[in-house]
Amino acid sequence: MALSAAKPLIRRHTELGIFLIGAVLIVLFATTSDGKWANLFNLATILQVTATLGLMSLGVALVIGTGEIDISVGSTFGMGALTYLWLAAQVDPSLAAVAAIAVGAAIGLFNGLLVTKTGTPSLIITLGTLMIFRGIAIALTEGFSFSIPYAGRNGWTYFLLGGGDFLRFNTALYWLIAVTIILMAVLKAMPFGNRLLAVGGSAESAHSRGVRVDRIKLTTFILCGMLAAFAGTLEAGKLGFADGSMGRLMELQAIASCVLGGCLLAGGRISLPGALMGAFVLSSIQSYLVVTGVRPQWFILILGLIVVAAAYGDRSLRQWALRK
Amino acid sequence: MTSTHPLIQVRNLDLHFGAFHALKNVSVDFHAGELIGLVGDNGAGKTTLIRVLCGIYAPSSGEVFFDGKKVEKFHPKLAIDQGIETIQQSVGLCDNLSIARNFYLGREPVKRILGIPFLDFARMREKSTRVIRQFGLRDNVSADDEVERLSGGERQSVKIGRAVEFKNRVVIMDEPTNHLSVREREHVNELAVQLKEQGLLVIYITHDIFQVHRLADRIVIMENGEKVADASTSSMTAEELEEVIRQGGRVVEKQEAV
Repeated sequence: MALSAAKPLIRRHTELGIFLIGAVLIVLFATTSDGKWANLFNLATILQVTATLGLMSLGVALVIGTGEIDISVGSTFGMGALTYLWLAAQVDPSLAAVAAIAVGAAIGLFNGLLVTKTGTPSLIITLGTLMIFRGIAIALTEGFSFSIPYAGRNGWTYFLLGGGDFLRFNTALYWLIAVTIILMAVLKAMPFGNRLLAVGGSAESAHSRGVRVDRIKLTTFILCGMLAAFAGTLEAGKLGFADGSMGRLMELQAIASCVLGGCLLAGGRISLPGALMGAFVLSSIQSYLVVTGVRPQWFILILGLIVVAAAYGDRSLRQWALRK
Repeated sequence: MTSTHPLIQVRNLDLHFGAFHALKNVSVDFHAGELIGLVGDNGAGKTTLIRVLCGIYAPSSGEVFFDGKKVEKFHPKLAIDQGIETIQQSVGLCDNLSIARNFYLGREPVKRILGIPFLDFARMREKSTRVIRQFGLRDNVSADDEVERLSGGERQSVKIGRAVEFKNRVVIMDEPTNHLSVREREHVNELAVQLKEQGLLVIYITHDIFQVHRLADRIVIMENGEKVADASTSSMTAEELEEVIRQGGRVVEKQEAV
């Protein structure tokens, strides 16, 4: 049987499911949207959304890899965007981006220290910080939005940080590609990646082999915060303005991307390409619902149904692959 | 055979887990070139004691001296760096990683490219393959296979192979022959004796006094978190020592105090 030959491959590469689902959805969307979905302009829009959601998902995937979770990333994204916009009006965008990433790192450090020092489950800690930093974002903006005046929206650093297109695609996409390559190398080919996955596989065993478990976890929380804030920076660069609700509910999309992409919530097994494909699938579904004119009232409902169906399909595929 | 000062000296060690008193005023010396049988029933505190020695637990009070120096900080990394290799019973392998990655976990060999440390996969594979062949794992098991696929005996073999490969000064074996076939068990016991003959301190934990009595120079018996007997194998037979364990150490405790 040709099909059963694929089983070991699917077992070894849990992310294949989401790639298969992605392929099916692409064909479905392309054939049923009258050309409104499958054109270069729309694809560029989808990829811009994928880039920001993807950067966030990569960070979340790393945290999931250690067996923890970070659901505060939506608020970190918002804080990054606001920091960038506030400073970009005064200093060079590159410095503003560095400051935004530093804010993200600080939030990650805060999460990581609370989780590792107190031993409290990361789910509840980051749920708390999700609210804390959303609250700060809303308080900072006082109901208004931060924006960069049109006159300030130029210069090559502004362009590089999501504020323009290169070869028809938003510059955020190129950042995503670069970050993905670096993180994949770190995860698969460097000692840090080996230890990260070991911590997720069995923290006790990793500890007994001399791995500093808390340090690894803390580092992934910091990386996750930095990536979320950087994603917020790129989104802010694209839009030029942001309010206190920026990035709201994105944390759930990022977690969904990771899980759809074959990351095991228990830790130890993650796929960065899978998480990105998950982000792409989610952005594609959203775009499809927009271009086919689904009424906004139904939007969230249908998005949710497709996500559930995709998750179910992925799970069935994996179970099929595990059967002898 | 034994050197003048002990390689590991434990003095008045106490360990509490909340209200549970896991180790009670334990004092014991271990010398280089000795094979020690650490024996006791389940829950006697053997594993807890060696988990202090290999840095997993920090004691509540008491002192540990390694090579004459007082140990101030307890962490597995420090113990491994000092040359204390431990074959743990239930932990030590991450199921989600390959044999080669487990083998070098925490001390990965790297090749630097532009100063960036990349894993030296060739070396990791080569060395771990040699060890798994030496320990007679199935031919279809490769160093790239995840540990999840291995049987209990194979997992044990990987852990022992790893400890032997990195042997330094102390090898602690916690129930090393669990899950092993008769042939594999013999192999492990021979290894333990070889390591001792090379001048290492070997601490061999088991609840089978007869098995370890043949190998060991000295037997330390624990019971209920206390050391209840400490005798050289030439001075007490396995049967006598078994009686001590059966009595819960109470009779001998008085004898020892004399």
